[in-house]
Amino acid sequence: MIDNRRTYRSWGAALLAGALAVGLAACGSGESGTNAGASATTIPLKAGESPVGQHLYGKKRGGVLTVYDHEDFEHFDPGEVYFAEDYTITSATQRSLYSYLPSNASKLEPDVAEGQPVIGDNGMTVTVHIKSHIFFSPPVNREVNSGDVAYAIDRGANPNVPNPYFHIYFNDVVGAEKATGGPISGIETPNARTLVFHLTKPTASLLVGALSLPLSAPVPPEFAKPLDAHSPTKYGAEYLVATGPYMVKSNGEGKFLGIGYQPGKAATLVRNPNWNPHTDFRPAYLNEIRINIGGEPPVIGRQVLEGEDVVQNDEPAQSIVKEAYEHHPQQITFTEGSGDYYASLNTASGPFKSLDLRKAVWAALDRDAIVKARGGPLVAAAMTHFIYPTVAGYEQAGGAVGPKLDYNEHPEGDMGVAEKYMKLAGYSTGKYTGTETLQMVGATGPPEAEVAQIVQQTLQSLGFKTHLALVDKSVMYGKYCTVPAQKIDVCPNVGWVRDFADPQTVLDLAFNGKAIIPEGNSNWSQLDDSKIDTAMEKAELVVGEPARAQAWAKVDEELVAQAAAAPEVFASAPNIEGKNVDGVNQLWNTGSWDYDFTSLK
Amino acid sequence: MTTGAADILVEPVPLLAARSPGRLFWRRLRGDRVALASLGFVVLVALVALAAPLVVGIAGVPGPNVQNPNALDVFGSPTGPSLAHPFGVDQLGRDVLARVVYGARTSLEVGVIGTAIATLLGTAIGLLAGFYRGLTDTLLSRFTDVVLCFPVLLVGVGLGAACSVHGCVKGAIEPGTATVVAIVALFNWTYIARIVRGQVLSLREREFVQAARALGASDARIVFREILPNLTAPLIVYASLLIPANILLEAGLSFLGVGVRAPAASWGQMLADATPIFNTAWWYMLFPGLALLLTVLAFNLLGDGLQDALNPRAGRAVK
Repeated sequence: MIDNRRTYRSWGAALLAGALAVGLAACGSGESGTNAGASATTIPLKAGESPVGQHLYGKKRGGVLTVYDHEDFEHFDPGEVYFAEDYTITSATQRSLYSYLPSNASKLEPDVAEGQPVIGDNGMTVTVHIKSHIFFSPPVNREVNSGDVAYAIDRGANPNVPNPYFHIYFNDVVGAEKATGGPISGIETPNARTLVFHLTKPTASLLVGALSLPLSAPVPPEFAKPLDAHSPTKYGAEYLVATGPYMVKSNGEGKFLGIGYQPGKAATLVRNPNWNPHTDFRPAYLNEIRINIGGEPPVIGRQVLEGEDVVQNDEPAQSIVKEAYEHHPQQITFTEGSGDYYASLNTASGPFKSLDLRKAVWAALDRDAIVKARGGPLVAAAMTHFIYPTVAGYEQAGGAVGPKLDYNEHPEGDMGVAEKYMKLAGYSTGKYTGTETLQMVGATGPPEAEVAQIVQQTLQSLGFKTHLALVDKSVMYGKYCTVPAQKIDVCPNVGWVRDFADPQTVLDLAFNGKAIIPEGNSNWSQLDDSKIDTAMEKAELVVGEPARAQAWAKVDEELVAQAAAAPEVFASAPNIEGKNVDGVNQLWNTGSWDYDFTSLK
Repeated sequence: MTTGAADILVEPVPLLAARSPGRLFWRRLRGDRVALASLGFVVLVALVALAAPLVVGIAGVPGPNVQNPNALDVFGSPTGPSLAHPFGVDQLGRDVLARVVYGARTSLEVGVIGTAIATLLGTAIGLLAGFYRGLTDTLLSRFTDVVLCFPVLLVGVGLGAACSVHGCVKGAIEPGTATVVAIVALFNWTYIARIVRGQVLSLREREFVQAARALGASDARIVFREILPNLTAPLIVYASLLIPANILLEAGLSFLGVGVRAPAASWGQMLADATPIFNTAWWYMLFPGLALLLTVLAFNLLGDGLQDALNPRAGRAVK
């Protein structure tokens, strides 16, 4: 009888020897290490990699586009949608009163509205006329009227429709502050084609911008009201109708769950049979969009770069960005102005109540290292203030260099300046000597985990003791960083993208003391500075883009002076497409692919 | 005078040199080259782990947590093996060689300490169950079965998710080496317990135990003086086979994010970090993977060799 044990051990020994040999061989071969020199400056974009100036019309019609999306969608309901990936669906299926062309991130185009809004009564009223011959998809099938838009906005106050924007941007509408989903008295519909908004304050400019949000997309009350009675609403979760060129595939009753959407697996957009192209600036070249949900980003990226009729809906992996830039430059775009990332420092409790300590962290943080951790200068630039590129007020607030302050001047980090502020904070050795341990909550996965460790190392170099927990991003936001009661000292992976083309949407919710709420709080630093709050209140009332840009740039300067957070990077979003796809990027939505304008070559 | 029966001339039998069990064990082990090589490797890993700072210093590489963005290329991608970094760097520019060396500490800490505690626990429970039988055996055996059914990885993931930020039980439970050791110890004693129980059930019926009982020895004396010494050999073998299993468990828990906290080095955590960039940074997966493979293999081969060397059924050499 064969002694299996001896045979196993012989094989084991051979394996051991073989593995050693492979290891030694690997040590001596493969890519040679080339240490980068000083931190990278710029990498030139190749032709076609910037979506600025992209062409929108006159392209080939037809075809089915396959979309790969690593992450699942959160909402299809235009009343609830919040994340950039979800916007790619609502922008294809829902038409707001006003929208942005994919090629222009700042100019609002009338969409359901007919013409620009009329601001009257010294900024206290906004009148909007809506187009005729815009129809809902089956099973509603009828023409859109002003009452549908009014209901869409009314339901934003319904607790069953957790709309994150309603009380921020619509609270100045008469009756909105106390609304709970019923008709809002300040939204008047004198006829089927007209809406008039009455305001409590002259914040008409802000309201006009807010009318580009999906919340203003018409919703038929006779169809949605029974669904909105459920908590949470079933509208957008199981049932949905569309006004855009596409709709989520559904049955004859408007139910899409299990038909056009399998959570975690797939979604399908088909043409809306009732869409009227004569009322819409969207060309809608594609016949169908099939979305595959899940998969590992490096694998998805390869499938897209090597495939046809495919795009990736979310951001590609870092390794894929490099590969695309080097080997498939025609298949990748980089969209500047895709938000910013920073580390929030809790100003309500703990050591960062001290302004000097916050300045010390700002000075010490190596933003260039974070640029590299995020993928290099193609996708990130060192952040120097809070309004990011392409948002009005960016240049007025200092542009790329930012305010000329000693703690802001060296994006590679300056321990000398940091020590100066440590000493000003009362730590004569230049190192923190307190006993508490800083609670940090970051996100798992690249590059967030790496960025969190860079921030952690910075804090440790200043003498802080740290306790870093890396959790899923949704948990980081939902359970810890947006809940003041958790008393998290540092959230190193928070970021912001504007809600619409107004600098207020970048700064107000993120840094206004009055915006601090017990849950879902976006003022992660819990900054509550009366001077800044007052400046924001004044800036909110300013009318006209140039003046608003200047006013909010001043707020930005104040935020920098208060070291409201530790800045990291201004982001440029990469997006990849298949070989024969003529993708069009939404400049207003982190460069996401616009399915209304994308076509196949 | 005759003796009656014919005298039979017999060659004098030379006296056999008495060998102690220890000497027999070492003689058998010495003859097993594979086991010796594995033992040598295990000792090497242990020395490297203990003297990690020295090893890293001799290798002339930075410490395991020294971030160096200049070691990344312009895209922020890690660079491969070079003179300055023989095993390449990771996404933060940290030296992979240094992290592999320090990762050995984590693996051995969890593997050895966790196994030691699991062995103690398992031995105690198995002894009690096998010696006293009856209700004691029933209760302890059923308890063992219940613990065996626990999905260890899921428990670890659950603890990691629930206790990662503020900790649980006033901070006593949170992701880290201590928690991993506790998980390993609290869930992996069951195999030892079952083996020990089986051995004790057999040993308690042996003549020497009966004799001790007849002489009035107490239960404690019988357990500690008669039974336990006879368990030493199998315990050594099974413990040495449990160590690599626990090292792999630690790697798995770290891979899932419930092991040691960043930035501490752990082979499992390194494998997890390397997965998204494997196609462009193969070294980051290769070297910790090799270290894990070789360490686990060495322990397995050593355990096998120990089993052969300690096996009492192997015949004594007769000269």
